[in-house]
Amino acid sequence: MTTRKLPAGVQDILPRECRALTNMRETLSRLFFGCGFAPVSSAALEYYDTYSQISNAVAQEKLFKMTDTDGKLLVLRPDVTLAISRIAATKLEDAHARLCYFSEKWDMESAGANKNREIFQAGVECLGEEGAFSDAQTIALAAQSLEAIGLKNFVLDVGHVGYFKGVLEELGLDEEGAERLRGFINAKDSYNAERLLRSAGASGDAVNTVLALPTLFGGSEVLARAKALTRNEEARAAIQHLERVYALLQEMGCAECVCFDLGTVKRLSYYSGIVFTGLVQEVGAAVLSGGRYDNLADDFGKHIPAVGFALGVKRALIALERQGGLAPIPPLDAVIVCEGGAEGAGYRLFQKFVEEGLRVRLASRTGEEGVQAERGCAQKLYYVTKEGVQER
Amino acid sequence: MIRFALSKGRLAAESAELLARCGVDTSVLQEDTRKLVLESADKKFGFFLVKPSDVPTYVEAGVADLGIVGKDTLLEEDKDLYEMLDLKLGECRLCLAGYPSRRDTLTNPHLRVATKYERTARRVFLERGEDIEIIPLHGSIELAPVTGLADVIFDVVQTGSTLKANGLVVLEEVFTGITARLVVNKVSLKTKSGEILPLIQRLKEVLA
Repeated sequence: MTTRKLPAGVQDILPRECRALTNMRETLSRLFFGCGFAPVSSAALEYYDTYSQISNAVAQEKLFKMTDTDGKLLVLRPDVTLAISRIAATKLEDAHARLCYFSEKWDMESAGANKNREIFQAGVECLGEEGAFSDAQTIALAAQSLEAIGLKNFVLDVGHVGYFKGVLEELGLDEEGAERLRGFINAKDSYNAERLLRSAGASGDAVNTVLALPTLFGGSEVLARAKALTRNEEARAAIQHLERVYALLQEMGCAECVCFDLGTVKRLSYYSGIVFTGLVQEVGAAVLSGGRYDNLADDFGKHIPAVGFALGVKRALIALERQGGLAPIPPLDAVIVCEGGAEGAGYRLFQKFVEEGLRVRLASRTGEEGVQAERGCAQKLYYVTKEGVQER
Repeated sequence: MIRFALSKGRLAAESAELLARCGVDTSVLQEDTRKLVLESADKKFGFFLVKPSDVPTYVEAGVADLGIVGKDTLLEEDKDLYEMLDLKLGECRLCLAGYPSRRDTLTNPHLRVATKYERTARRVFLERGEDIEIIPLHGSIELAPVTGLADVIFDVVQTGSTLKANGLVVLEEVFTGITARLVVNKVSLKTKSGEILPLIQRLKEVLA
């Protein structure tokens, strides 16, 4: 019976979970709005060409595709940051904007552990901003967001794409070799990285630096080690930037949860500078990820340096539940049952309670039958008669 | 607690021995038990014994922090993991093998390849631009060319004695240096670094 089934990688969200998601959304919404971010929402359907013709093209196999009535190929939004970059470059008068969103994205390919094909995200983008202070503020807000939703013992793992890029330049590998090396480094596989470099005939300081990359993670002492390992200007500039951001975070009192990893180098990423992920022990994959993407909007016709992050709402929820922090739906404060003929009075009491902020239900069944059915459903049961109100 | 996913079978025994040399209390692995989750007496380590091809799944999901599994399985499962050490255990090669007289079948446009490494085989031949038909099997792969089910097999070869006994030869070594690797969950390495890093360091020293 396919009419009763869902396709792979998507789920219905039932009341208890949906309530927790709504809570999380309200908490973050308040936080983001209070921090000066304005909400934005992009269309879920877009043209295939929008995402296949740009320099940071989304891989064809990741896109959910449909055909429009005129035969044009449509896709479900595959990435929120791309969509917001497009909006900022084409629709906002001032490209200097702080925007936030609560949005789904769809990834046809992803499935398996910790992965869904429909991904709920809450995130922010600081558009038209450059510099270490902007990066530091974004990281601080990422930490604040994880704290606000109730997560404990999280780590923000910070890196910079410039370090690997700079060191890679020194090696003079061809494109294929560079991509294979990136894969090994990203997997912290120094054994195969070394074999690859040896067979490519690479030599010099850069080889030692690359082979050290899988060990370049940990506290802030990593930055000094990384800096001492290279003379490449781009790589050193990356470290100097991280030092500056870290110093700012310390001054802001937000450096406690920060650690560093210079060996995280993902494939086909639009990030151009600092990158970071939010990690908690309870979930085997990042609950938050973000970074700087200065060149992303170029494809949409405007240069807008920007930094932002997205929080994976469902993964965060799983982490919260495993940390024991997921509250059940609170019981109703009151239920109101009307005597036959007293429906008007019952409705007026119901409205008064709602206005007072109580969570209350007006029973559809009336009389003693209603009282029997509603008993125990709420903290209090009120019975409204033509004469008045009794608590039952 | 550090949780290990170990490949059931000979590799588990070898892994246990290696871990014991690093000071991990693995005595619980020597017990004859039907329990699936084993804990060391000092509660510092937990062990899951799972099918080799499931080790990357457990580690990627973060249910296990560390895993010991063959490179052949890692190639096939292609999960997002840290692959931090070559443990040099169980060295073998991933080879194309078949009848020596059919060496020319390697250029046959519709080569039939029997394998339990379906995805790896597909990737290898896709990169070469060759059309093949994959025949997925779960065991006794050598039987496929012998019975005519396939032209060649793509499988791990350790000594080659099974091939030889069936009149088959290695036609091509596609991946050499297939050994057991230590894999680490990407989050655990950062959130449990205080326990995991010293263990990796000890493993390095023991292997050196």
